[in-house]
Amino acid sequence: MTREEELLLEQVTSAHRRRRADGSVQSHPAWHDLDDAGRLAAFDETVLQRKLESAMDADGLSTTARALLGRITRGG
Amino acid sequence: MADELLPLIAAGDTRAFGLWVAGCEHTLRLSLRRYAASVDTEAVLQEALLRVWQVAPKFQVDGRPDALLRFAQVAARNVALSEIRRLGTKPVDEAEGDVAVAAASPDPLLRAAVKDCRDKLPGKPRDALDQRLESAGGDDDHVLAERLGMKLNTFLQNFTRARKLLAECLKKRGIDLEMELSP
Repeated sequence: MTREEELLLEQVTSAHRRRRADGSVQSHPAWHDLDDAGRLAAFDETVLQRKLESAMDADGLSTTARALLGRITRGG
Repeated sequence: MADELLPLIAAGDTRAFGLWVAGCEHTLRLSLRRYAASVDTEAVLQEALLRVWQVAPKFQVDGRPDALLRFAQVAARNVALSEIRRLGTKPVDEAEGDVAVAAASPDPLLRAAVKDCRDKLPGKPRDALDQRLESAGGDDDHVLAERLGMKLNTFLQNFTRARKLLAECLKKRGIDLEMELSP
């Protein structure tokens, strides 16, 4: 994996996702710039990161779970 | 545990929903692996979980265990297939069937080891990791990098370093994270 691909992968592992105009969750822009192997690597890395995040959180919540609850409580 | 939370979730208890997500996220995410080259599974998972929350007040259990989790798996698959059609990306062979899903409980040994290893991270990698955790998906990496006075690439490099150091530290303690990739 090139350095550029690694930086793209790292962005994709974030739980931050924008919303479309219809309110649905949008793909990360960096995901579109990865090839198949990069997308699979990003998937695997995200699985591991969320596991660690859950272990670091007092309530066992990953950043995905926190992002989701944030949207729900804000009514978004 | 997951099914016991259903009445609370149906009543709009966000804390109960958080507990349910904490137990189900890992297995749901793994069930999406076959779509990972065709859709952004993080976006798919978030969208599916939002739909679960929206449907929960009217959700009818079928008497089998993990009813809401099984519903979530179907919702996630449907979101993935819809997104594949929208993006025009590579279709996925559905013939192999769904991966079995099951709710999980927290692992206290992993929790203790992760805490120790996180405490040993050097300054900037630790800062990058902490920003992601504190932001909890609320801000994109450009914003997080700016908060730390870093360029985006520097922030990402520090984050890469943090996760690699964490994995090495955990391995020294006999915890192989790669095991988590198995369904």
